[in-house]
Amino acid sequence: MKYDHYDLVVVGTGFASSFFLKKYLAKTKGEKKILVLEKGYFYPQAERLKVKKGEYSSDQKHDLPWQDAILNVNKEKEWPFSTGYGGSSNCWWGCTPRFMPNDFKMQSKYGIAQDWPVDYNDLEQYYGEAENIMSVSGPDDTPFPKKGKYPLPPHAFTLVDKIMHKTYGNKYISQPGARASRSITHRNGCMAFSTCETCPVNAKFTIENSNMQVYEDPRVELLYGAQVYHLEMVNNLVQKVLFQQDGKERSVKGEVVVLGANPFFNANILLQSGDKNPLTGRGFGEQLGMQVLIYLDNMKNVGGSTWVNANGYMLYDGDHRKEFAACLIEANNAPYDIRLERGKYLNMASFRMVFEDLPLNSNYITTSNNPFIPEVHFKDRSAYTLKAVENMKQKLPGILSCLPVERLKFLPPASHEGHIIGGTRMSNHQKDGVVDQHLVHHQYRNLFVLGAGAFTTFGPSNPTLTLSALSLFAADKTF
Amino acid sequence: MKRRKFITLAGAAAGIAIVPPSLYFIAPGINEFAVELIEKEFYYLKLAPGSAVRYVDDYFKSSANNTLSTIKWKTTYYLKLNYEQSDRIRELLKYYLLSTDFFINKMDESKMLNYLGLYSPYHSPLPNPYSFLIYPPAEIKEP
Repeated sequence: MKYDHYDLVVVGTGFASSFFLKKYLAKTKGEKKILVLEKGYFYPQAERLKVKKGEYSSDQKHDLPWQDAILNVNKEKEWPFSTGYGGSSNCWWGCTPRFMPNDFKMQSKYGIAQDWPVDYNDLEQYYGEAENIMSVSGPDDTPFPKKGKYPLPPHAFTLVDKIMHKTYGNKYISQPGARASRSITHRNGCMAFSTCETCPVNAKFTIENSNMQVYEDPRVELLYGAQVYHLEMVNNLVQKVLFQQDGKERSVKGEVVVLGANPFFNANILLQSGDKNPLTGRGFGEQLGMQVLIYLDNMKNVGGSTWVNANGYMLYDGDHRKEFAACLIEANNAPYDIRLERGKYLNMASFRMVFEDLPLNSNYITTSNNPFIPEVHFKDRSAYTLKAVENMKQKLPGILSCLPVERLKFLPPASHEGHIIGGTRMSNHQKDGVVDQHLVHHQYRNLFVLGAGAFTTFGPSNPTLTLSALSLFAADKTF
Repeated sequence: MKRRKFITLAGAAAGIAIVPPSLYFIAPGINEFAVELIEKEFYYLKLAPGSAVRYVDDYFKSSANNTLSTIKWKTTYYLKLNYEQSDRIRELLKYYLLSTDFFINKMDESKMLNYLGLYSPYHSPLPNPYSFLIYPPAEIKEP
């Protein structure tokens, strides 16, 4: 560490921190001292691939299992994430649909939960910016309003997708994704392997291959193995960030501090630091996902060019959200979903039905005996979500009536969607949330708390693009 | 569940609990059993000589091959289950097809199936059978 006082101290190197820094660096000219504290280490994609091939890598010791990083009380509910340089960009699957405008207005439109203190129009510009940074592949016509085209052309439709698109128009589209539809400067084109967690051909956007030039900026100093556990507050301002590195206690002063770790760690650090906001750590969760196998009569579902080939919005927005949750359909392109009946091997479509859930305060994150390890209590799915599952089972046969369906097989809900949302929710007023519309803590006014933890409601869409856009928005509006 | 099937399953379960060593040693080799399953299920396909054997060898080397796994496979054998009743068998058969040139040849039953190595995006270049690499966009008709 070069200094003991920095203009900006950032915790974490995942999407939230990196997109925030991207905008901050672009807006603040001249000398700035910026320190980034990363809990993990740099584990390059090339080394991850070696390990996947069964080879040894001296970096694999840096791959900390998520199960060891938290105390997960409900073992049936999984929360996979990745620590280290680039955070969960190293394990995400690259799905980047935008939220729908009404996702931000659940209270005023449907009488459910709370409205966000920002709306779709506030974020539109930043959605576009984030999509450009990620080189998102996507179609021209989308169910959400969009200015301009996606940077890359959409992925190719299967025959099933084509029929669904013909039937439902822009309510069934090629999924906007950060899996490149053709090769670009720092990434190859997607080969539809469907193992996006560690992409075999480096087609998926990661912080490592992003070319964002954030951590290469001479104003930025990056410390690895720096585990933050406490913020020292003086007069409602963060004065010092306390962390442990190589077993030694260290601290640093910052004018502005940014928590950009995942919602578990952000909440843990706040609670460790004496944050008394009753909503800190409360109401976290994620979407509920379940797979439906669609057995087709005399139709091969071939030609797809990526993992999630399409998104369906037929069960997403509408007045039904007064009673039950929105559902986003993902058309998967899974190699392992083949049939064994003679001649019907590829007569199968596999849809993942993804339902929004509500921020229930009975689901919460708290501290544990170990200051670095948050304790995670997930107890309940909302009745609002479970009712939507039943509705989907009734409606789906009708929705699929344009296809030659033999039968449907509904699989049990998945153990996770790979998203962690809520815990430091955004609100206009302190009584309703933890951070304001610019992701600044309501009480500690030099502290940003970024990421999907700030989402006021969850929506059914994948959160990464929205949390990245929020980071750009927050930095742009503040600096 | 039908009574006869229940009794068979219950008996097998009791056997696992009480006499696993005898079951382990008396039953035929898992590999031979797995090859038999493949040849029986895909009787109508032309499997290249030795391809099922090599696949099965690789398959069991790559998956958990401990005593418990062995006993589960042998239970499957004694119960005479098929892929509709056993996920274990379904996985074996599915990954056999994925590991051959069957999908590259667009499921042409008249062509010989050659084993190309275990299906894995990290180990082999075998494509996703559904993908544009086998069925390029120009081949997907407009509805």
